[in-house]
Parts: sequence; structure tokens; C-alpha cells
Amino acid sequence: MLAAASAERRRLRIGESLTTEGLSRVLEHEAGDLTCTVEAGVRLSALHAALAVAGQRLSLDPPGDPTVGALLAENASGPLRHRFGAPRDLLLGVTLVLADGTIANAGGKVVKNVAGYDLGRLVCGSRGRLALIARASFRLHPLPRAARTLVIATEDAAGVVTMLRRSQLEPSALDVLHPGRVAVLFEGSERAVEAQLDAARALVGGDDAGPEVWHESRERQGAARGRIRFDPGAVAETLAGLDEAIVRPAPGIAYTTAQTEPSYNLLRADDALARLTARIKDSLDPQGILA
Amino acid sequence: MALAASFAAELRGVLGAEHVLAEPEQLRVYECDGLTGHRAIPELVVLPASTEEVQGVVRACAREGVPFVARGAGTGLSGGATPVAGGVVISLARMNRILEVDLDSQRVVVEPGVANLDVTRAVAPHGFFYAPDPSSQQVCTIGGNVAENSGGSHCPKHGFTVHHVTGLTLVLPDGAAVELGGKPLDPDGPDLLGLVIGSEGTLGIVTCVTVRIVRMPEVVVTLLAGFESTDAAGAAVSAMVSAGILPGAIEMMDRLTIEAAELAVSPGYPEGAGAVLLVELDGVAAQVEEDTAEVERLCLAAGAFEVRAAADDAARALLWKGRKSAFAAMGRIATDYYVQDGVVPRTRLPEVLRRIAELSAEHGLRVGNVFHAGDGNLHPLVLYDAEAGETERARELAEAILEACLDAGGSLTGEHGVGMDKACSMPRMFSERDLEVFSRVRRVFDPDGLCNPGKVVPTPRLCGEVPGPYRMHALERIGVAERL
Repeated sequence: MLAAASAERRRLRIGESLTTEGLSRVLEHEAGDLTCTVEAGVRLSALHAALAVAGQRLSLDPPGDPTVGALLAENASGPLRHRFGAPRDLLLGVTLVLADGTIANAGGKVVKNVAGYDLGRLVCGSRGRLALIARASFRLHPLPRAARTLVIATEDAAGVVTMLRRSQLEPSALDVLHPGRVAVLFEGSERAVEAQLDAARALVGGDDAGPEVWHESRERQGAARGRIRFDPGAVAETLAGLDEAIVRPAPGIAYTTAQTEPSYNLLRADDALARLTARIKDSLDPQGILA
Repeated sequence: MALAASFAAELRGVLGAEHVLAEPEQLRVYECDGLTGHRAIPELVVLPASTEEVQGVVRACAREGVPFVARGAGTGLSGGATPVAGGVVISLARMNRILEVDLDSQRVVVEPGVANLDVTRAVAPHGFFYAPDPSSQQVCTIGGNVAENSGGSHCPKHGFTVHHVTGLTLVLPDGAAVELGGKPLDPDGPDLLGLVIGSEGTLGIVTCVTVRIVRMPEVVVTLLAGFESTDAAGAAVSAMVSAGILPGAIEMMDRLTIEAAELAVSPGYPEGAGAVLLVELDGVAAQVEEDTAEVERLCLAAGAFEVRAAADDAARALLWKGRKSAFAAMGRIATDYYVQDGVVPRTRLPEVLRRIAELSAEHGLRVGNVFHAGDGNLHPLVLYDAEAGETERARELAEAILEACLDAGGSLTGEHGVGMDKACSMPRMFSERDLEVFSRVRRVFDPDGLCNPGKVVPTPRLCGEVPGPYRMHALERIGVAERL
């Protein structure tokens, strides 16, 4: 289909006029290696269901239920980003289909690998404008045996965040549901999670909560109209400038109800970075097929 | 090719005369990196002190069509910093300042010539550390780590350089500088940071690096387990992974490397062991306690005859010293050695180790195995005697070992990089089309092929007739013949 569009110089938008819905198989799940290889059209919920059979997960929880391809193309993450990173951090390898139909592989299936250019990471965040992602391999984690949430209602969310981040606790998620609440998730063994929860409560107070707060966080993130990035140390200043937002202090990202401009976009060639990005686009898709 | 005298004069003008080296005895210092089998004498070595000076050098090289190679401490093991004869080496050794420690953001901003361990030293008093820890961390530089996407022993839990670098200043091969990322993560647009980290100095020269620092764990436990065989130790590793335990590090050494380490630094590994595992667990106390008990149980179940924990920091340091000096220790039992860096899926470790033992016997050369078992990253050390004419045989054995790793579904290199060393092996892992796309991306950054040429992607000039990827013969396709 890409090759045909390329021959006719027809523009396509991945996810709209070209979808990977038909590519929805989990190709390999090597439970003993904590890795999997999937086709890009598989939905995250379906992948999670398949992995859960072996007591494992892909530690990504973005809003909605994107396909794996969309997840990568948007570099989308959710509350678990705090500890486990973004899609680019868990990606091991990809198979790409370029706009002219060329199939290219990069990376591999093993958890450690530095051979060749990391085209998998390159397409993370590319919004379908560099190449179609056909397959992807990921690093997995065991499903935690226990999970507990602490919610702290506070007027000084930045202070609470600072205390928690300076502590030796190892939360899986730490969100500010601005204004007024900080949510912390601990995962691990029953006893260790209990111990972390107690230690956190002693440090910053707060109450036991159910998983609903994470649903709320993801829903508000999904409904957000803007995204800003800030120096992780500048939580207080960032919160002061926002009415309502889901704020992830560790990566320095806030999802805001107010609309924001992307910090740069592919089409604006007014600085060296944008020019470089545009040249990469030209080299992988010289005819500009992928809109 | 001799460079025009005016070119050297121009660089002296940019950098000051004392920072442009041209005397043969000065240049010889830079003729190779840790891959000492590849050597070339550069025409000039320059030592810039700022991004602007690097830009000045690169612009001059771009204008005159002179190839250039960036260099940190020269500890790389794949020839990523091997000079190009007739070209310029750009040493970042003078750019060794820590520019900013931002504890609130948990970021440190450094120049590329800062040594890896110096980042941890700068933040340790505040309870933080920089996680990637290559064995050469005392001297290897952050810039070199970025080029190679360096790993180390603590990758299973903490990840690689790419997980810890949040921002870069990159001087492109035309001399323009771009800022990638910053203190916050997840910039909009394609992940150029992820592309550049691990690109082995072929896409530009990094002149400033922002890294993430990590809070020191509440508790660290270092366990040493002795096994009869690498098979048994490998089974213990698989059991840990299956049990969902994520240690900070799982390292394995076999009989030969244990012997060498004992001769060199006497770490006190269990006597007569066919393999030892060094397992480090870090994190919150309650979790580490539980995991420690479980790891001990799993090791004993897999046949460990001894499991002990380091009693204090000094004991822990000694156990690690044995591991980290393993390469150098080989000098005690062999005149020459060649280090490989293959990766295999963790479940295939025992089988690949048996294959390596067979290959070692077939070639009549000893192979010591020391590796990051937690992520399947093998460092087989092929021991040989160059004076006895064993070099070629050692090279063949090393290649056969890589082949075995690839056959098991692994990779050519886990952390040392492709460089000069493995560029010609790339077609074994990637198809012609894959490599063509790599070349396309490279040309975007470096259209004239001046930035660390001859590394990573194979060229016919470098590798002779590049063997194409395996293609099924027509007779095989119809089932008349098969490859054995």
C-alpha cells in the first residue's frame, strides 16, 4: 500500500488512511527473558492481557487504549513513567516500513544491544511522519505482587514532592493532581509495599487510596489540551502558573487544561534542530508521502 | 595526504598554538584506543576548550574536506576513536568541567571530558550517584559514554547511558550546534537524543551533556555464590529472572577468570569454583531483605555450594574489584587476549556457554568468560600468544563466538560498540536494506563522510567484498538442498 502510494505520490496519514489494525498479533513472548515482539496494530489492552498470563506486563499506562504503533509514534506514557520511563526506554527493536515500501530493521530482541543506529528510538515521538512502525520488541517487567496508593491532600504539593523525591523510597508513580493532591504508588512484595507506604505516610502524611486516583490521573491527562515541560526542580513555580493540571515531577511534564503550542514542530524550519529534523524526514520519506 | 600548513595555522589561531599537536611523538599517543590492534597516526591532534572552539575546528575540517575523529579518554574497546590517517583527532580532554549540579532537578550538566566516576563523586555527599558504571569508570569520559551508549554492571535495574542522559549539545559535522533535550524529559518530535546516544561519534561531536542522577538506595546487599559449573550458575540466573527479581547487578565469572582475578587482586572468591555469581540487590530495605533471601534460596536450589554476603563496604569493594579488574587480570595468565561483547537472550546463556567451550576446544585456545549475566551480555576473553602466531586463530575463534550469539537470537555488541572492530560483521546482523537506511540517516548528519568515517556501517573499502546477507538458494527454497 505504501509502495503504491509512493508510486502515485499520494499522501497518507498513518492511523487514518493507512492503519495497522490488521497487524495485531503478539508474535513472541519470551517470558523467561522478559521480552516480547508484537505487531504494531495490537492494542495495549490486548497485549497486557496476553502478557498477564505469564505474570508480566509492559510497564506503560498511557490514557486510552492505543495500538503499540501509536504508543511509540506519540511516545505516550502515563503515571508509571515515573519509574519505568517512556516507550523509548522500554523499546528494544523495530521493523519499519519506509514510505517507498522499504522494510528496515533496527535494534534487536535482547535487552542490551548497541549495534547500529537506534532507529527505533528515532521514530518514538515522530507521529507517523518518518516511517510506519510495523513491529516492535519490548523489555517487560513482572507484574507486582502488591500495589498500594497514598494520596496526600495538600496546599504545598511542591513541598510534598520534594520530600518524597529526596527520600530513598522507590515509588512506581508520583503525580500531582493539581490543585490540591499528590498521589504516590508503591509496587512490590506485600510486606515491602506496606513498609514503603508507612514510611511515606510518616514523611508526608496522607491517606490510603484505591486505584481510582490513577484512573482519574490518566483520564485528566487524556483530556488535557496542552503539555508543558519544566525543570524537575521547578515544581512550585510550575504549579503556581497553572490552574488545573496533571503534573509528573520526575520527568518534568505537566498536562494542562489550557492549550499549549508544541515546543517545536516538524514543519517550522527556523532553527538548526527543526532543520535537522526536516532533513531526516526528507531522507526517509523523500516524496513526502507520510503526512 | 598532507594537510596544508595553512590549515594547521588556522587551527592554531582558533585554539592557541599549544593546543594543536603535530609532532610525531605527540601524535603517536593518539594512534589507537582500547582496541590496540587497529592503529593510525593522525595528521593533527587538537584540544579545544569550548563548544565554539569545537565548532571552529569542525568548520575548518568541513571546508577543507578533512576527516575528524572525536576522542575522550581512549578507553573504548571497539576502535570508535581510532584516528583516520591524514585526519584530525579532536580530543575533548580539556573540556572536563562540571558546569552545574542541580540537586532539585536531579540533574548534572557536564562537559564531555569529565570522567564518569567524577559525576558520582560530585553528588555522593548529597546522597546521589550516576548509575551507568562501565568497568573503566575511573577514567572513561561522559562524552565517550554517550558515543557508545555505555552500560556497565548495574544495567539490569538502572539501564544504560541512554536512560540517564537528558540533554546534549551536539556540534554537527558542518559546524552548526544543536541542543537536544534538556533537564525535562520527553521533548516533542522524534527522539534525536536516542538516535545520537550510541551513534559512536559518527553524527557529530557532543560538547555538553545533562545527566540524570539517582538517589542512593537505602540498602545494598552484595552476594557471592560459588557453583560447580557455569551451567548451574546460569540456571540460578534464569530462576531469578523468572521469579521476577530485578537485582541491580548479576555478574558471572568462570573458572579461568576466577583464577586470573585471584592472582591479580585476591578478591577471595570460593576455592575450586567453576563459576561465581556476584549479585547485588539495592533499594528499600524491606524489598531487598526479601529478595536477598529468595536469591540465596534460588542459588542453593541451582546447586551453589556456597553463598555469602559482603559484610561491609570494604568487603563489597573487594568482591567488585575482582570483577572489574577481570580483563586486566588476564595479563597474569596469557600474553594476549581479545575481548568479545556478544549478547544472548538470558534463557540461552547455558547453551551458548557450552557452545563457546566447544569452540574453544576446536580452536585449541582458552576462553575466559566474564559477563553481565543479568542482561545476557557476554565478554568472552580469547587468550592467545601473538608471538606464537596464534593471532589469526584467535580472531577466527572470536568471530565464531559472535556467530553463536547471533544464532541464539542475540547481538554483535551489548556495550562496547561496533566501531572499527565489528563494522564488517554488521551484515551478519542486519540486511543490506537495514544498512542502507543506516547510511541514509548518517548522510543527513554528515553528507561528506568526514565525521568518524569507517566506523559502524561497513564500507566496501573497509571490508573488501561485503558478504551479503544470507539469502536462500533456489534449491533450498524448493527443498532440494539445505544448509548444514
